[in-house]
Amino acid sequence: MELETDVVSHASGSARLRLANTDILVGVKTEIDIPKPDKPDSGKIEFFVDCSANATPEFEGRGGEQLANSISNMMQKAYHSAEAFNLKQLCIFEGKQCWKLYIDILILECGGNLCDAVSLAVKAALFNTRIPFVKAALMDGGNIDLQLSDDPFDSKLLDVGTAPLLVTLCKIGDKCVVDPSAEEENCSVISLIVGVTGNKRHYYPNHTDKQCTESKCTTIGMNGPGSVVSKTLKDAIKQGIVAAKSLDEALGQALLKERQQNIGMKKHSYGFLK
Amino acid sequence: MPLDYRRFNGPEDSVSYKRYTNKYYKGYDELYKELVDDKGRRKDGRALDEARSMCMFFARTDLISQAKGSAYIELKKTKVVCSVFDPREIPHQNEFSQLGQLYCEVKFAPFSCAQQRRPHVDAEDKSLSVALRQALEPTVCRHLFPNYQVDVFVYILEHDGACLAAAINAAGLALANASVPMYDIITSSSVAIIGKKVFVDPTEAEEHLAMMSPETEGTNHGIITMSMLSELKQVSDFVQIGSMDIECVTEAMDILEKECENIVPNIQKVLVHNVVQSFNQRKQLEAEAKEREIALNVKMEEWKKLLNAG
Amino acid sequence: MDKEIGKICIPGMRLSLSNKEFISGPGTYELKGYIYATLAGILKMEEDEKTKATIISVESPRTPSVLPKAGDIVTAKVTVVNSRLVQCMILCVGSSILVRPYKGVLKKEDIKSTDKDRIDPYKCFRPGDVILARVLPMTEIHWYHLSTAENELGVVIAVAEGSPQGISMVPISWSEMQCPKTLVKEPRKVARVIPENINQTMFKDSKESNKESIDVK
Repeated sequence: MELETDVVSHASGSARLRLANTDILVGVKTEIDIPKPDKPDSGKIEFFVDCSANATPEFEGRGGEQLANSISNMMQKAYHSAEAFNLKQLCIFEGKQCWKLYIDILILECGGNLCDAVSLAVKAALFNTRIPFVKAALMDGGNIDLQLSDDPFDSKLLDVGTAPLLVTLCKIGDKCVVDPSAEEENCSVISLIVGVTGNKRHYYPNHTDKQCTESKCTTIGMNGPGSVVSKTLKDAIKQGIVAAKSLDEALGQALLKERQQNIGMKKHSYGFLK
Repeated sequence: MPLDYRRFNGPEDSVSYKRYTNKYYKGYDELYKELVDDKGRRKDGRALDEARSMCMFFARTDLISQAKGSAYIELKKTKVVCSVFDPREIPHQNEFSQLGQLYCEVKFAPFSCAQQRRPHVDAEDKSLSVALRQALEPTVCRHLFPNYQVDVFVYILEHDGACLAAAINAAGLALANASVPMYDIITSSSVAIIGKKVFVDPTEAEEHLAMMSPETEGTNHGIITMSMLSELKQVSDFVQIGSMDIECVTEAMDILEKECENIVPNIQKVLVHNVVQSFNQRKQLEAEAKEREIALNVKMEEWKKLLNAG
Repeated sequence: MDKEIGKICIPGMRLSLSNKEFISGPGTYELKGYIYATLAGILKMEEDEKTKATIISVESPRTPSVLPKAGDIVTAKVTVVNSRLVQCMILCVGSSILVRPYKGVLKKEDIKSTDKDRIDPYKCFRPGDVILARVLPMTEIHWYHLSTAENELGVVIAVAEGSPQGISMVPISWSEMQCPKTLVKEPRKVARVIPENINQTMFKDSKESNKESIDVK
């Protein structure tokens, strides 16, 4: 696994991830929006997946649309719960203004296990997303004028410790395979996708809150034409959670190391599609 | 599906007038209190673990004459129509496939929910369609129609919770009604989880609250829908959303499994009734045909006599 | 009620063991040594004369949503004839009528079993003919390949050019048919319809109705 953050200059946060033969670029754009009337104190988050025809010729035209839809759907579901990602941190002014995060996921190369890679890359991108501080707000009748600081370093980071990771388990024969390659995906008739919340400890080393150390399922979905016995399903979910935990830990370490390098200006970039 | 331009689609950001009534802003706790009364009964008088399949279930088939098979399912206020059509050519397909395909489309009526729904297909429709297809694929004998697709259209007339489960049940019934070969009868059920309480076959209010994030951290909440092939004991689709720990998921799974089995007799009853009815119909038709034949024979004899006389 | 119409089956119902004595027929499938139903309908048990095994099948009150498969005999209507192939619409599979017609194609070399290189499709079929054909394994999307290279397959109903509609020609040889009204002879790849295959009552009916129509005139 190869991970690099802050690769796109125009995005508030970005990450590039290479997992075996899968290459994913994620950019986070922030914009100001009006919150939903039934959730006045939370921001918005939206996922877009673009399967470029570069990845495989199958994505040409509208070919990748279905896959893109299912991935963005899965991500949206996984990030739905406040346990996974608290949208309240995106609130600027209750009921009036909030941040909206546009998460654009670009699939540059497709080598299996897309869901997992996408979720890893998204978490990494969110981890280094900077949201500018609001300096002042002027109330002008019903309208609000915001003044943001111009200094790009005068910004806050998001709390993404609990952001979920997706784990795909492919059932091949009687066993479930974690992190399947494209070939393995072709072999299996059914796969299970489990979204599991992360652990804050891996991302914020000085975080001491013990409450949220437990991993929880935020979404479960099945994919493929087959079906499974319920016991296999239960076992697979358990297996997925274990896998997600270790994945989460690894991602946390990588991100922290990267940040350290960034601060010390010692970072060397890999470039795309190396 | 393209947007219907002839129709006034209204501004994108219109809000329901209900927002401005006093009742609209209710806290989480207040809503929660409303769902269950002191005796542990839900708003509609059900116990927590009581599904609507027991007493508030109604299903029938053959209501759409143009379709090969159709079904209507009513779970008190959740009303779903489904129609199934014969295999047809897959449009824009240029790959040979040994297995046939299922094309599923779920649509909400614009007036089906508390808030107005746009007439065009939105993300929820799409994700429901995908989930429906996922649930139905294992049960249909798809090798019998290679390179062709069977269309399954579901229209949700009224939505009061558990619409995916209702859609799957209706689609399974409609497929059997259309005599599309199936490996098994498919049934589906859903639960909403709020804290320690498990609401079987939730209503919309319960679903809404389960999707909302609770104030205290670390509480389980969410919705699970599961569909099963009853005889083969296979799970064909499992959709979970929210946040819950593994014990909660497995516990809910056991409940859902039981619930799916509870629905089976309902579906079976409809199907058996169906077969009996159509055979009676056929018998009646045969009897009528025989009668007509006798009448014709009599006529012919008359004509013959006339001919001979003339 | 059950006695009147027989045993009712629904999909997924386990019907019997699957072994030498019981063979799974249409409307059923085999899994792990058992036979299960795939349709909602009536159970049928028939004995195969050759093997003495019982074929278990389920008969649905309506035509099952199945497509023609390789080896089936289908009834089709010819739509296009050109020098290389014949296109047609498949209307029936065996005795069941299809709700939607499916496209079929009959290649020149599959029309007859003899003299394959000298077949002229124009001398075998005309648009509008109703033919019996056998389905070949599927190799192309959306087109069923058919064959009439058997004595029992070919044109069954055809109307001669210039004849009034409804008067079909009568076969006079393997390769010719004649209109009973205008006495026009036309070349066709004629099917020898086996008498056993004809529903006896139907046959009688059509005779009678023929008589009737003559009587009326």
